[in-house]
Amino acid sequence: MSKPTSTLDTDDLYAQLHRRMIESGEWDRIRRLMSSKLSEHGWVDEMRHRAKERARSMDTLSFRVLLEEISLPARDGVPVVVKRDVMNVIGQYVKGQFEK
Amino acid sequence: MLNKYKAVVAWHARRIQDTSPPAKRRKVSAPTCDTCNATLSRPFVCLSCSFAGCWQSGHVTSHLHETGHSFCVDTRSGSVFCADCDDFICDGTIDAAHLSTVLLIEEQMTRFQVAKRPREPYQPWVPSESEAALLKESTVLPCQGRRGLLNLGQTCFLNVILQCFIHNPLLRNYFLGDRHNTRLCKHTDCTCCEMDSLFSEVYSSNQTPFGPTSFLATTWKVSAEMSGYSQQDAHEFFITALNQIHGTCRGSTNISCNCIIHQTFAGQLQSDVTCERCGNTTSTVDPMLDISLELRGKGGEVGGGENTLAGCLRRFTKPEKLGPKEYSCSKCTKAHEAVKRLSIRKLPPVLSFQFKRFEHKTTSKAVPQKIDTPVRFPATLNMAPYTTLAMNHAGKDGDVSTYPGPEGMYEYDLFAVINHEGQMDNGHYTNFARFRDEWYRFDDDRVTPSNLGACLNSNAYMCFYVKRHLDYKPYMKPTYRVTRDNDIVREMEQEKLKEMARQKEVDDALMATIAGD
Repeated sequence: MSKPTSTLDTDDLYAQLHRRMIESGEWDRIRRLMSSKLSEHGWVDEMRHRAKERARSMDTLSFRVLLEEISLPARDGVPVVVKRDVMNVIGQYVKGQFEK
Repeated sequence: MLNKYKAVVAWHARRIQDTSPPAKRRKVSAPTCDTCNATLSRPFVCLSCSFAGCWQSGHVTSHLHETGHSFCVDTRSGSVFCADCDDFICDGTIDAAHLSTVLLIEEQMTRFQVAKRPREPYQPWVPSESEAALLKESTVLPCQGRRGLLNLGQTCFLNVILQCFIHNPLLRNYFLGDRHNTRLCKHTDCTCCEMDSLFSEVYSSNQTPFGPTSFLATTWKVSAEMSGYSQQDAHEFFITALNQIHGTCRGSTNISCNCIIHQTFAGQLQSDVTCERCGNTTSTVDPMLDISLELRGKGGEVGGGENTLAGCLRRFTKPEKLGPKEYSCSKCTKAHEAVKRLSIRKLPPVLSFQFKRFEHKTTSKAVPQKIDTPVRFPATLNMAPYTTLAMNHAGKDGDVSTYPGPEGMYEYDLFAVINHEGQMDNGHYTNFARFRDEWYRFDDDRVTPSNLGACLNSNAYMCFYVKRHLDYKPYMKPTYRVTRDNDIVREMEQEKLKEMARQKEVDDALMATIAGD
């Protein structure tokens, strides 16, 4: 893979990388890794608890409302160490793809 | 449409089972969004046509609105979205279809079997005509089993363990299924009968707190060391109770027992000792009913930054150096340094963990200390990284993320937690337990609704997890039935002998009267 020269190239490159990642199974592997780290740090359970208790207090249940309300705390709540570790793994994969 | 749903669920289930390392695996073409062509990591599929699309950018919902098609499904979770409701929907038929399809795929894809046989397919129970007729006539009782237990004098240790038994799905099904009927049991001081009575009480229409007096009395009679009015350790009582129930279960044996206790709690622990000099590995397999986890690391520090259940399990399965005095290799017949590693060879349906919070200091005369450091534990647990199979498959870097077999075989859900507050000889036990999706807190006779957050934030002493999907052996006559049939045959033969003896008496008497003439 050659380095991108314009935004159009970057988009195209992203799409290609994205496709390779999924097709090779690397996406799923990294997702499982991230999932187990998030679970160990209690993030999954925390979000589950929040969503459940919010849903319990809603007069009319709505997925869209729940998703909207939980998206920000979910993003902010990701433990720094998990974010760092997973970004490293992703970074390594991407780097490896460029070196080929 | 239901068939299409099942096909989609099956497609996804098959895909995620392939956990082989990326280098070895074949490239599989991934679906792309029919609107924007992006590769889909999480496809949403229309149930009325072949459209697949992204959720995030709204492509799949736009498709539904434009075409008037009603439903699409999230391939990863199996959740169905309704365009008219503009929301995900909840339906019993869909849930049942999802579960049965996922289970079927897992069964088909389980590659490893000790006996080299394919896995036994799960068959849901379908009532026969006579059974259906019986069901029609029976009264339906609510099945939640939330009844407080009275404290009979420092017996909170007993109450928490009983609550964990009551909320144990396998034990509950066994006793509610009338598998050990008190009225038919011939044992005296039978703890199994006490369990049956306990379940009858808890699921009766009387919901006022109940005092487990006869359970306590029987426990004392069978295990004298548990008697007395002082506070006992809940874990000690747990193990004692398991052994008592096993002992009084019909058809229980001392080797490879098939009683309800062993079926529920028994797993296998493997200990591999590798000689550092010649590399020879000796493996021993031991049965286990539960796992006790150390909270102190090698250096005596608590946790070492990893105060999580996963951290404790990693410590439990970490290779440990044995000094030359502790081991002599059978192959190179010299005392050498060796490395010992524990792993779980067989996972039981119910996993019980105990955190070793009470230290008995043998060196000083001080009162045994309690380690109160909270340990974080999850609501769902994947046990794969601690199994012998996965550990043997691990790469050089110890990466245990690739292992054979469907994930479902390693996944567990938390259903009960026991808490202890105070000091070792002067404390109080309480517990949390889950029914379906709701958590409750139990404090002797006081039962209150609670939630997942409260449970996970509590300081746990013991945790109980149940396997999400069970695996089945092909049908074998249950040991208690075999024993009962043997008993019946024996009784019939005894009856015959008695009858013959009686007949002989009559004949002899007759002969005597005839001869006497």
